[in-house]
Amino acid sequence: MDQAAILDHEFLAAAYVVTWVIQLTYLAWLAYRWRAQKSASQRASKSASQRN
Amino acid sequence: MKKLLILVYAAITVSLMVWGFYQAIYVAPNDAMQGEIFRIIYYHVPSAAVAFFFFAISLAGSIGYLAFRRNSPEKAQVADAWALAGAEVGVVFCTVVLITGPIWGRRAWGIWWTWDPRLTTTLVLWLIYVSYLLLRRFSAGPQMQTLAAVLGIFGAADVPIVYMSNRWWRTQHPGPVFGGAQGSGMAWSMARVLLWNMGAWFAWGVFILILRFVLERRQQKIAAAEAQAALEA
Repeated sequence: MDQAAILDHEFLAAAYVVTWVIQLTYLAWLAYRWRAQKSASQRASKSASQRN
Repeated sequence: MKKLLILVYAAITVSLMVWGFYQAIYVAPNDAMQGEIFRIIYYHVPSAAVAFFFFAISLAGSIGYLAFRRNSPEKAQVADAWALAGAEVGVVFCTVVLITGPIWGRRAWGIWWTWDPRLTTTLVLWLIYVSYLLLRRFSAGPQMQTLAAVLGIFGAADVPIVYMSNRWWRTQHPGPVFGGAQGSGMAWSMARVLLWNMGAWFAWGVFILILRFVLERRQQKIAAAEAQAALEA
């Protein structure tokens, strides 16, 4: 494998890895917000029922 | 039933992603001129197409919000949630385009970036939608939603400019592969792989778009309940 082909391979791998890192990080952030929202709404409904 | 549908859709999406990756890396032939680096097209082009689609959803949501905000507040809130979800997921895909493009350009052209019309208009598109998200993050209330809707419509006007830029102007970026001048096009062995990856990224994008939409609708309902509770207190 010549130097150019090795560089091509490395750049291709970098592009694919970066794509997946961005997409999976965003998915993880959505999952984190989902959980945070769920626990916040549970807390809110608990305090509302205590008030009543 | 709902959970089962979500699981089936997620399974189809993951299968498409795996199949698309396999096709892109092991099945598609190397490009005669560019060699292996050309395979970036199978992630770069679908990401751009999907970003455009989601910005169009954001546009529809923004128009819907402006149309319904006085007469039908509930519909306006739904439209606003679609506008936000479309813009945010669109920015994620546009970020992928703006990173994979320079990686490809560095090997193909010898430079990371050039202020060519296609690249510049794409960067402007990204900046407009990032400012849209910042506006939504750091201000509140119905005035913010109206301003965001106007900005969303303004941002979407850049999408056709990005798409047409390499037809209207001479660019460093290659000319259109599909629907371009005579002699443009792609061998079926490559076009087939591109279509598989287009389908895979579209399925993935719709999955995260719906997640983001549901998240925003829940947030709107929590905010409405909190406002109601504050009024009653």
